Amino acid sequence: MSMLNFERKYRVRGGTLIGGDLFDFWVGPFYVGFFGVSGAFFALLGTVMLAWGAAMGPTWNLWQISIAPPDLSYGLGAAPLYDGGLWQIVTICALGAFTSWMLREVEICRKLGIGYHVPIIFGSAILAYATLVVIRPVLLGAWGHGFPYGIYSHLDWVSNVGYQFLHFHYNPAHMVAVTFFFTTVLALAMHGGAILATANPKKGEVVKTAEHENTFFRDFIGYSIGALGIHRLGYFLALNAGIWSAICIVISGPFWTRGWPEWWSWWLNLPIWS
Amino acid sequence: MAGYQSLYTRVQVVPPHYPGVPVQSGAFTRGTKTGLSYWLGRIGDTQIGPIYLGWTGLTSLLFGLAAFEIIGLNMWASVNWDPVEFIRQLPWLALEPPPAKYGLGLPPLNDGGWWLMAGLFLTISIMLWWLRTYRRARQLGMGTHVAWAFAAAIWLYLVCGFIRPFFMGSWSEAVPFGIFPHLDWTAAFSLRYGNLLYNPFHALSIVFLYGSVLLFAMHAGTVLSTVRFGGDREVEQITDRGTASERMALFWRWTMGFNASMESVHRWAWWFAVLCPLCGGIGILLTGTVVDNWYLWAIKHGVAPAYPAVVPPLADPALSGVMP
Amino acid sequence: MINNKQNILTVLVCLCAGLILAGCGERPPVDSQQVGYRGTAMVNFTNPRVEAATEAANAVPAALPAVPGDGPRAGEVYQNVQVLGDLSVAEFARVMLAISNWVAPEQQCAYCHADGESLASDSLYTKVVARKMLEMNRDINVNWTAHVQQTGVTCYTCHRGKAVPESIWFADPGPVTAGGGVAGSRMGQNTPATATALTSLPYDPFTPYLLDAGPIRLATDQALPADNDLNVKAAEGTYALMMHFSDGLGVNCTFCHNSRAFASWSESNPQRVTAWHGIQMARSLNNEYLVPLTSTFPASRLGPLGDVAKVNCQTCHQGVSKPLYGVSMFADYPELGAPKAPAAQPAEGEAVAAAATD
Repeated sequence: MSMLNFERKYRVRGGTLIGGDLFDFWVGPFYVGFFGVSGAFFALLGTVMLAWGAAMGPTWNLWQISIAPPDLSYGLGAAPLYDGGLWQIVTICALGAFTSWMLREVEICRKLGIGYHVPIIFGSAILAYATLVVIRPVLLGAWGHGFPYGIYSHLDWVSNVGYQFLHFHYNPAHMVAVTFFFTTVLALAMHGGAILATANPKKGEVVKTAEHENTFFRDFIGYSIGALGIHRLGYFLALNAGIWSAICIVISGPFWTRGWPEWWSWWLNLPIWS
Repeated sequence: MAGYQSLYTRVQVVPPHYPGVPVQSGAFTRGTKTGLSYWLGRIGDTQIGPIYLGWTGLTSLLFGLAAFEIIGLNMWASVNWDPVEFIRQLPWLALEPPPAKYGLGLPPLNDGGWWLMAGLFLTISIMLWWLRTYRRARQLGMGTHVAWAFAAAIWLYLVCGFIRPFFMGSWSEAVPFGIFPHLDWTAAFSLRYGNLLYNPFHALSIVFLYGSVLLFAMHAGTVLSTVRFGGDREVEQITDRGTASERMALFWRWTMGFNASMESVHRWAWWFAVLCPLCGGIGILLTGTVVDNWYLWAIKHGVAPAYPAVVPPLADPALSGVMP
Repeated sequence: MINNKQNILTVLVCLCAGLILAGCGERPPVDSQQVGYRGTAMVNFTNPRVEAATEAANAVPAALPAVPGDGPRAGEVYQNVQVLGDLSVAEFARVMLAISNWVAPEQQCAYCHADGESLASDSLYTKVVARKMLEMNRDINVNWTAHVQQTGVTCYTCHRGKAVPESIWFADPGPVTAGGGVAGSRMGQNTPATATALTSLPYDPFTPYLLDAGPIRLATDQALPADNDLNVKAAEGTYALMMHFSDGLGVNCTFCHNSRAFASWSESNPQRVTAWHGIQMARSLNNEYLVPLTSTFPASRLGPLGDVAKVNCQTCHQGVSKPLYGVSMFADYPELGAPKAPAAQPAEGEAVAAAATD
């Protein structure tokens, strides 16, 4: 069986949002549920569309395959399949699959009697994705502003979007987002390191305690946020990394069309300087 | 359960201050000053301090302060000691590394010498702080995982400011100290070396950067969701698995068919966080030393996509021989 | 149940986002123009509300009524006509009137021709400068069609009703620093520079590239290291120049380049070829026409380092990719193009007349 030795007692019925007991079962280790079915449908369809697009494209080179959005001339309308229509279907499938996955997580949380923190923060990631391929394109008036689905082609998109605004590093929301990203990595390294260092002490020592974690960080930097607090901090940092990324791209174009360095003229022209 | 979303501490306990696990040895002793912060207590521990200063901490702070002062005073001098302009232009100001003509030699103070000195002091400060990280852990009988993760970040710092400039034979290759100027450097670095996005180690570094955020979101979310079962008592859960650990494991097992253990999730976390600067440092070190144009490198190795031409391909006008 | 913390967080995030949006001062809808294959983000954005102001600022004045081109030449009738002597008297008068409207709409003729003196007198420096500028104007329209195409330029392209064009440049000594040469060196950068669209990139991108022929091209033309000693500081110089291009033309980098391979011509748009000729042109004009005028100008017209006013992209373009939105004033003033061949006139008499005026 694919069950862990303690698993059977946790496999209870109920907690579903939709479908009652109909899809309330497991396949191997996976919980299914209505959203497992819808998620599998979207994921499969989307993957097949990507493969179809690759088959119609010039290459099977994994690095070079690119499923591109339509030309801007299609605006917010549907495009022919080989002129961006596939991209539109994949985008719908991706959003459907991601949302299904999130709602399935909610059902699992309900089954296990735990909080909704994971699906909520996953929702913020979905929101960031939707900002890139739905919200911003809608604000700009064309699906063609979405990014292409390809390993290197999406990097070309990133590069060109950056240079549309001359120097994207000057985007204030980008600065905030990058800061949150780096700070999250810093906090993760410190947290992961602290737990490993406590559970894997110096040779010959016994496993240490939460008191040691606290003492280490107080000795080290004067403050220990604590075992519970670090997870709140990490959650806050990761959430903000995603949210500010979404902000930094949604303002680029819809709310600012010039070079980002020029945005800072408000600071240089504040009345307090004279 | 729906109402149980642990985001802040509702009822704060104000305990007597906790002096910490006794220090085993050392010439210095831990300070005794502690404070309490109600607002910190809303999300974490209320207690601030006591800090252990030690000679590594003290000297590290002194060298760090010296570097900070050199950088700040040079910036201030660059606006003619005008305090208002200093604040106004601060994001644009910088202490620049020496021009290329000095190579790895000693430049005059005002032509990169201050930069070299600030870099040296900052590096000494960081190294001493690393030593402190290591020794604090050992003094408490703990593992040194935090110190080695810190070392990965130091690697990236040293590659940017010392190792790569050393191999390129010029301090001018290094990064300026400044807010916007270091961003200019980053962009210009990518322009000079044919698009850093095509640098595979840059790509890996970003993968681990985003991966770290993803992991922390997953891990922190999982822990917070099981706090009422004691999910935050991680070391206890590692040594003596409780229902919190079991629910966490099953959440991910049911979601994605795989779960880490309470201990192994922290190994995933540590490695993702460490590999981010480690790969980034490798990518920067290879740039200019081993590869000079990442776009052409990607073309050469068949990874850069080709797009249908929308305009007839252009020829370099400088090669046409027509100089009007 | 949503608790307080979440509320506070939501409010804070909304507040910050709102502040950033307000700081931007722009809003949808914006216009976008695709200039590359779909999905590559080769797109130029324009805000129609910002663009409306630019369009108003770049309106073209009405042309003076055309006049007959036959009859005696100006060079024969008037004295000391060194550049436009091939025009008919009527054409010459029309061009002179147009120039006075374009360059000195208040002072008119008196700006170059001193009151109470013969029109042939060169006593005012402005007249000497104007003559050089007319030569330059003809040179551009005849020899730089790779950049100005058939649209050409007139005095108005740069002057716009001002004696000194709004966008000119001098060598920039940079802001005053302190420290007695011991500290605080800016190394030519790290100040909010209007020449580089407010970045902290090198603040004088013109002297090295639009006066001197400094290396603009950075990238090595092969994957592995070759003989290329340009470093990141050199790249910052090129980036600074390109910032000026973008700012001066009101475009972004993807107007000319696919940023994934800035150096590659096969990845670039045709505008890049035009721009390349523009660099050669600006450099040539500065060296052939403006630098030689250094001693002609009074000191008050020179820059802080005693150098003459020079041209860059913005001098003509003034924030628009095609100056004056591509309206050809030159078409109304073909006199500013190639000199008319003195075909119908007896060649000998012409030569004598010209020699007499010189």
